[in-house]
Amino acid sequence: MLGYSMPLYVYVIEDLLVLLVLLSSFIMLSSRWISFYIHAYGFQSFLIFVLTIILGIEAQSVDLYLVAFLTLFVRAIFVPYILLRMIKKFNIKEEVKLTLKIPFSIISGVVLTVFAYFLIYRLISPFSPKIVVNASSIALSLIFVGFFMIISRFTTITHILGLLVIENGIFLLSVVVVPTLPIIVELVVLFDILVTVTAMLILSMFMKMRTGSFSTTMLNRLVG
Amino acid sequence: MMNMKIFIAIFLIIPLFASLSSFIVKNKRFAEYISLFSSFLDLIGAFIILYFSISLKTVSIFNGAIVIDKFSAYIILLVSVVYFVSSMYGISYMRLALEDEKMTDGEFFRYYLFLNLFALTMLLAPMINNMAVYLIDIELTTITSAFLVIAEVTEKSIEAAWKYIVIVSAGISLALLGTILFYLSGNIPGSGNIASSMDWTSLSLNAGYLNKDIVRFAFVLIVIGLGTKVGLAPMHTWLPDAHSEAPSPISSMLSASLLNTAMYGIMRYFNIAGKNLGFDFPQTIMIIIGLFSLFIGVMGIINQKTTKRLFAYSSIEHMSIIALGFGLGGIFGTFGALLQMLGHSLTKPVMFFGSGNFLHKYKTKDINKIKGAFYVMPKTAFLFSTGVMSLIGAPPSIIFISEFLIILQSLKDGYYWMTFLLIGFLIAAFVSLLSKSGSMVFGKAEGNFITDKGDFSPFSYIPMLLPLMASIILGFYIPGSLHSLLSGIVHIIK
Repeated sequence: MLGYSMPLYVYVIEDLLVLLVLLSSFIMLSSRWISFYIHAYGFQSFLIFVLTIILGIEAQSVDLYLVAFLTLFVRAIFVPYILLRMIKKFNIKEEVKLTLKIPFSIISGVVLTVFAYFLIYRLISPFSPKIVVNASSIALSLIFVGFFMIISRFTTITHILGLLVIENGIFLLSVVVVPTLPIIVELVVLFDILVTVTAMLILSMFMKMRTGSFSTTMLNRLVG
Repeated sequence: MMNMKIFIAIFLIIPLFASLSSFIVKNKRFAEYISLFSSFLDLIGAFIILYFSISLKTVSIFNGAIVIDKFSAYIILLVSVVYFVSSMYGISYMRLALEDEKMTDGEFFRYYLFLNLFALTMLLAPMINNMAVYLIDIELTTITSAFLVIAEVTEKSIEAAWKYIVIVSAGISLALLGTILFYLSGNIPGSGNIASSMDWTSLSLNAGYLNKDIVRFAFVLIVIGLGTKVGLAPMHTWLPDAHSEAPSPISSMLSASLLNTAMYGIMRYFNIAGKNLGFDFPQTIMIIIGLFSLFIGVMGIINQKTTKRLFAYSSIEHMSIIALGFGLGGIFGTFGALLQMLGHSLTKPVMFFGSGNFLHKYKTKDINKIKGAFYVMPKTAFLFSTGVMSLIGAPPSIIFISEFLIILQSLKDGYYWMTFLLIGFLIAAFVSLLSKSGSMVFGKAEGNFITDKGDFSPFSYIPMLLPLMASIILGFYIPGSLHSLLSGIVHIIK
């Protein structure tokens, strides 16, 4: 369990890592370029991988190592790779269409993070050490930021990335708060990510063939 | 138990085999009949599972990974009934689609590949004990059915499938968060890890020991997350699009079996949360969300101008009545909601199949352009109009009994304002559906008159006849075995 009987510098490193995770989600919120987005996602997944490894050493759990390496392969390498290849193949013009201006996005991100901190503080602070509260509130804020990214950006790739950020948040939360989670759960979640991303890429390829773009703004025929 | 293991394995392998073989062999007749045959076998299998779960209490195999009690067996039965009638109707629908809608052969075989996979994921879902795995299975139903929504690739169907995947995946991830919080609630450091499991069996057994604050938060997340899949407002927005753009057999499977499968998950958590917090809290949430969805569903029904969207909103209305029934609780409310699930599964396919036949005959989904169906295709029109009566709860129909029971429960509990609202909404839906279907069936056509009269092949109306007959017969008489099964499920939920 995080927060028990480890030397102080481990906690400092862990705190720094979750802070960087939060920073990477704000990088996504503030960027206009899709490839930048994807790289930030890969970076975030890599940070989560390192954090999971450290937690695995703390808890001396082989399951966590396995999950960490699968995370590295799936979230930090495979998914960003196919997304980048997709962009290259279809020669997407890279700028993301934003509904909200970037400063407003960042302020919303901050508000969501504070809200996440309050929620987590109310829920788990009675029985958790401070470092767990910090890490899990950042995990929850990733979930909120992911939702915000889905509703505020209008391309298929950013929708996929929004869902992936939500998944990252859930994964981080589960590793930090309940490291004893049965490994089968993490495995099926990873499997689910692979299937979902593949399906969404196929769908967006169909969309590209029919409408000539990846923008979801023209998806307005079905109403009422 | 060894036999049961093999039996369940075969039960799940049948649709997998049908799906892969129909995609590999690439023979149209073979794909049609292997799907029909596999759905028929699974229907028989579902009855056998039901029999086992009644006589042997609870089946628990593969180290408790798969647990089938009466509730699971009931949902499996509902899914396989809809799978059977849909794959029978699919034969007629897909042949006509190949003939006149320029559906390519590739799309045809992809349809059969994903049809059986979709059925497989839905049949598997109620058996799974681990709730996180259950949620991932629900996510897989989303993926497989999204490919069925784009069975005919058009701009509209792509739009529907995209909205479907994005909204429902986001919803399921919230439900997953809720599940992890449920796990945390039984696994708090210092509490001795009493319920260190994600299985609903052990969570339900140790429900009293869970942390109350976390359970309260987690249950709300579950209702929002799985409610997205059930089509409860305000998370219902994907539902009318996906239902209206999918081919008719798929619309019926989406509506009549998928929504029930997701509702099953909510009820498992309802049971755990109720045992932990007292049933007032989950019941209040179900009532609030049920009433709001009822409002949205009925307003949708009144506003619709196309056939399949009309019945999609009617699905929202039905699911909200089911949520209300579970929310009211008591014997009548829960019993009524369970009966309404059966009624929904029996009547909704009739309506979507009828709309599919109209679509092929009139080449439109627009209600105002479909007129005089009674003179053009009498058999379909007769079954369609009887189906509408059955759907809106005119006696004798199973839906009449279930809605009556739910109203009775709300009167019994003294929620007079809610009874008033419920009856008002039901009457509004009644009048609106009746007038719209009446104009389709009996209205007088102006201008372009359909020249080639007559129904399509028997595969187009027999699948309408079978569930409709069952719904009407059950409206007259509920067999003792069904009654005792549903009473058993009421005790499982409470």
